[in-house]
Amino acid sequence: MMLVNYIGSAVLIAIGLVTILTKKELIKIVIGMGIIDYGINLLLVSFGFNGGTAPIFSFTELTSGAYFVDPVPQALTLTSIVIGACVDAMALALVVMLYRKYKTTDASEIRRLKG
Amino acid sequence: MSGFILQLPVLSVMGCFLGAFLIEIFGSKNKVVRGIIAMLFTCFAFVSVAILFKPVMVDGEVVAYWLGNWEPVSGYAIGIGYEIDQMNYFFSMLVVFTMLMSLIYSFRYMEKDSHLGHYYTLFLMLSGSVLGMVFTGDIFNMFVMIEIMTFAAVALTAFRNGKGISLEAAFKYLVIGSMGSSFTLLGIALLYRQCHTLNMAQLSSILGGEGGSTPVTVLAFALMFIGMGVKSYIVPFHTPAADAYTAAPTSISMAFSSMVNKAGVYGMIRLMYIIFRSMDSSAMQILMVVFGTVTMFVGVTMALAQHDFKRLLAFHSISQIGYVIMAAGLGTAMGLNGALFHAMNHTLFKGLLFLCAGAVLTAAGTTNLDKLGGLSKKMPKTAICFLVGAFSISGLPPFNGFLSKWQIYQAAYTKGVETGNFLYVVVTVVAVVVSVMTLASFIKVTQAVFFGQVPESCKDVKEVPLSMRIPMWIMAVLCIATGIGANFMNRVIFTPASTAAFSVSKYIDTAMGAGYASAAGVTDIQTSAAVYDLWNPIMWLVLFGVILVAVFIVALTGTGRAPVTFDTEVADGKGATYFGGERYSHSHVGGSDLFWGFRKNWTGYFRFMDKQHSGVVNDYALWVVVTAALVVIFMFIFRLLV
Repeated sequence: MMLVNYIGSAVLIAIGLVTILTKKELIKIVIGMGIIDYGINLLLVSFGFNGGTAPIFSFTELTSGAYFVDPVPQALTLTSIVIGACVDAMALALVVMLYRKYKTTDASEIRRLKG
Repeated sequence: MSGFILQLPVLSVMGCFLGAFLIEIFGSKNKVVRGIIAMLFTCFAFVSVAILFKPVMVDGEVVAYWLGNWEPVSGYAIGIGYEIDQMNYFFSMLVVFTMLMSLIYSFRYMEKDSHLGHYYTLFLMLSGSVLGMVFTGDIFNMFVMIEIMTFAAVALTAFRNGKGISLEAAFKYLVIGSMGSSFTLLGIALLYRQCHTLNMAQLSSILGGEGGSTPVTVLAFALMFIGMGVKSYIVPFHTPAADAYTAAPTSISMAFSSMVNKAGVYGMIRLMYIIFRSMDSSAMQILMVVFGTVTMFVGVTMALAQHDFKRLLAFHSISQIGYVIMAAGLGTAMGLNGALFHAMNHTLFKGLLFLCAGAVLTAAGTTNLDKLGGLSKKMPKTAICFLVGAFSISGLPPFNGFLSKWQIYQAAYTKGVETGNFLYVVVTVVAVVVSVMTLASFIKVTQAVFFGQVPESCKDVKEVPLSMRIPMWIMAVLCIATGIGANFMNRVIFTPASTAAFSVSKYIDTAMGAGYASAAGVTDIQTSAAVYDLWNPIMWLVLFGVILVAVFIVALTGTGRAPVTFDTEVADGKGATYFGGERYSHSHVGGSDLFWGFRKNWTGYFRFMDKQHSGVVNDYALWVVVTAALVVIFMFIFRLLV
């Protein structure tokens, strides 16, 4: 059942990488970075899932036979989502400033630093 | 060990982040308040690390602190731990020293910029995250710290956002850096799936044996290797570093080179030596040695072609990191000692050189080598500091760079003799040649910036203020002191640190409880203590022979052809200045182009490298992906099949 998620996340990561490699438009590069993040998030949260319930218990409810999903990957995923959002926001802010300076968002024209 | 000392690492990291918030609240308007806050928390981190010297380095204890007191339960680490052994203590010393120097320098260097509250906020966030990354014993916490580090570094690169190149460098850094972070996170996710833990000590006990060679863990290893490689800017991931060092304010270039870079190197050593305990495998050694050798060669040759002071220093910084990675990849006690020694020296002399470049930029208003000259008359104190740094980086005795490089040559050569692998001899020769090229390159810079005629634009240059010179003096004195006291440093600092990398069982036991390591079957790698017969005359003779061969090879590349003459002036900026090529008979070679003949002979190579450093971010991303693919294939072949 989880295989679909794994394949999906691999496809998402691949799409993101291809986007970064082939698209010259800076905003598309940022979108590619976002898609890689989504792929990794999907993978992380799928790793924690084993068919159990949500890991929210009070002390009285928690018994040794309780069957719940691993909460650690969910915490990791939340952190990763927040970080991904910050990366995208910062990258887009830089694109806006770059557009003001260079009057373009084409990666092949933003190359004053080379050699 | 008393409880207070255990809490110092986490307090120093938290202090940096707390200071960042306090500056944003109280210090965005007031210059004095933000200066005091920044200085206070930086000094706190410095003093905290200094207090830890005795228990960690002298007594050899491992500090383990569990956040929220979530100690391991029945053999599983469930909380986030801060674990400090001699290895990461060594790197934390470099970090706090750099923080302090960079901050003192910043006060006067940055005073003409606006929005300085944000500068100090970001500076403290950068420092805190690098310190956190070095101290942490949890790989996901390490990833979070890497991400904070990347944010702060990108924002600081773009700090002078009135300049187009700052924004450009920041964007490229962000794209490549976040690709590296994504690879790291992917590796961490795979490791968690396989091992159900994020703690380095527990991972080490699982992955060191059979657990480290399943397909999933091998893939995770390769991905994390790439992630750490991106953070330590080894070739071919070096392009954002070259751009960012050029475009960032110089105090930040210095911090990048001296601590952000070292965090990546630390991550690499931690990953290779401790988490995967893979350095006894000759395939892993060759992987690291090849990466290191390529890095030092490409870095130094690219530096020879530069016309900008800071960009040239950036490529040298990359090149010197190649030495560290190469020596660490040898997997011997002497190699790792040399790597750590060189990492410390790199912090000192490269930081010093960047600070000198900043002083030149402040005084003369440009870092273009063609427009500078004769500054030794105008700013003699900076010139002296620069010379000390230049002598150190080019490896002249008795400066520190000579001793660490000598140790690295010897370690590489000994490794070659021991294993009978010719690769290591080639590596030794390349290391010596790179050192010679470094010297050549610094002769060029010194001549272009500090000697020669004073151009019209530099007539009224003045020496920089005292508070900018103080960090420079401190680092210059340390460059000489660590060179003279090398044996003492080796005994007190590098030998304990490298021993910690080889003997992991103490690290695991302190974190997970006594007896855990032996229960998991962890055995320490026994290394013979590094022997330092550094002044052995036979080795000198071998060195001279090697240099002669190298010179001969270089000379061979330039013979047998008649001098080429051109009818018209060559318009191409990079290969332009040749005698006999110009329209005018009395043309001078530019001060920044002393080694034009060398560049002429290697035109093909330089044209190729120039084309590769195209400045298009897609190309740089392609390098990362292709290298990642190659490393994954390499790891699969040599860790699963062979």
